[in-house]
Amino acid sequence: MPGRELTLTDIIAKTAKWLILVFFLIMTFVPIVWLIISSFKTNLELQTDPFSLPAVWQFQNYVDAIQVSGLPRLFVNSIIVSSLSTVLNVIITSMAAFAFSREKFRFQNTMLNMILAGVLVPIIALMVPYFKIITGVGLYDRLWGLVITYAAINLPISLFLIYGFMRTIPKELEEASIIDGCSFQQRFSRVVLPLSKLGLVTAGTFVFLFSWNEFIYALLLTSSMRARTLQLGIRFFKSQFITNYTSMYAAITLAIIPSIAVYIFFHERIIKGLTSGALKG
Amino acid sequence: MAGRKLNKHWKGILLFLLPVIVLYGLFFVYPLGFVFTVSLTKWNGVSAMKFIGFKNFIDNFGNQNFQLAVRNNFLWAFALGVVQITLAATVAMILARRPKGWRVLRTVYFLPNVISKVAIAMLWLAIYNAEFGALNAFLDMIGLSGWTHNWLGEIETALPAVMFQEVVYIGYFMIIILAGTMSVPESYYEAAQIDGANVWQQERYITIPMIRSILVTAMTLAVAFGLRHFEATFLMTNGGPANSTTVMGLILYKALAALDYGHANATGATLIIVGAIIIAAIRRFLSSRDAVAESKQ
Repeated sequence: MPGRELTLTDIIAKTAKWLILVFFLIMTFVPIVWLIISSFKTNLELQTDPFSLPAVWQFQNYVDAIQVSGLPRLFVNSIIVSSLSTVLNVIITSMAAFAFSREKFRFQNTMLNMILAGVLVPIIALMVPYFKIITGVGLYDRLWGLVITYAAINLPISLFLIYGFMRTIPKELEEASIIDGCSFQQRFSRVVLPLSKLGLVTAGTFVFLFSWNEFIYALLLTSSMRARTLQLGIRFFKSQFITNYTSMYAAITLAIIPSIAVYIFFHERIIKGLTSGALKG
Repeated sequence: MAGRKLNKHWKGILLFLLPVIVLYGLFFVYPLGFVFTVSLTKWNGVSAMKFIGFKNFIDNFGNQNFQLAVRNNFLWAFALGVVQITLAATVAMILARRPKGWRVLRTVYFLPNVISKVAIAMLWLAIYNAEFGALNAFLDMIGLSGWTHNWLGEIETALPAVMFQEVVYIGYFMIIILAGTMSVPESYYEAAQIDGANVWQQERYITIPMIRSILVTAMTLAVAFGLRHFEATFLMTNGGPANSTTVMGLILYKALAALDYGHANATGATLIIVGAIIIAAIRRFLSSRDAVAESKQ
């Protein structure tokens, strides 16, 4: 700001600005770093020197963590559930989005608006019916029960994203393909779908993250290791490790690391997806 | 619409819509009907359903735990919808002025939001732990031993402690609001600077009115999250001590576990109705001035 002197307000604003930024930086890193460092200590060290580095790095904590918690199984289950629900959701919503965005038919807007309004439903309020439906079809404590539930819960948001994307694809591209003799299905699979890749990836990321992090229905619809996902497994750390805190911290660290790793690689895409979604909404 | 021709691809359209229609019917339409119907009955899931009118709702609202839960849900809605949104908007406005390293800060602040609420709750369980926790250890270290608490075990501190570990992670709303703030044309601020407006005035009279609709959207979402809150409370306190941290979601879950489907669904129905009313009110109240401004243009 050339030609302007710093007023008192400017100085207060500047100080407040950096205090705020540093505060949130501390809140982001310090708890996680403390947990990770503590996970390499002995329990005695944790109590006597809570903020020092470990005297000897206890890698054994991680061996114990994996053995006690059954983490590998939890990971495999979570990966299966998240991938399958994402694929199922994206396939069926992209088909519906194609019909909604490229054709005209009766009750089109009514149906579209009704499905999109589903984002407003507090899914937590539907615990009893979901429990009844999933037990009713024999999918209680099965991975498939979670796959279908997660794919269904995300229909509205996913349709919103994919429909929004497909609407922007110019009609002319399809008209050319009709002249070339493409059928209804071929227009979808050969023309619109390949052009919608970015929309599908955005929706898929949303569904995957939701499924990976979901807790309430994993709690409600499973009862054993057979279908237990990572998030639900974390809940049992308290009873599995009892007072062996540092090994429990190791297990929590192992459960957090993949999310952080994925974020480090894909943060630009995730933030871009959120940003563009915000401006459209 | 009589006489309008059937789309010639109607079979294809139907085929393409069918999976979504079936799943939506099964997981949205039917469950909503189920919740409202069963909320008017006495039912344990096995014996015959008995219609009892609004008795479950009357029971709920006369029950002290339920009243506490409703109060706590409103506190959560306030903590997220007002406190967290204010913090997120403040940080967004700072970053929108592109200070040194703003891109890195934006990425870093969002990091905790990719970690599951469950893992974050477990992390804070470790921090709040009365004997082994980092918070008490830190207070001891800086000579404030008198300030130590059994954070999650005392009525005065439990609810604020659970709320803090969620409110402080502003990343999600910060990113959304930042996107809006950065889309305000630079020239508006330049003009204001020439007119001698200071930073506060610029934010107050340019940024906030310009991003009003995004703020309302973010606030609506945050309030909805507050009313649906479940995970952290379930893991950190399970509603205790003395039910002081309970929320509607927890009461619903416990009623379900006790096979009391009538009260469970009455709680669910209350959640849906209260949520719809509050969200409609926010949008009406906060968007109304927008409509006035638009009509003047």
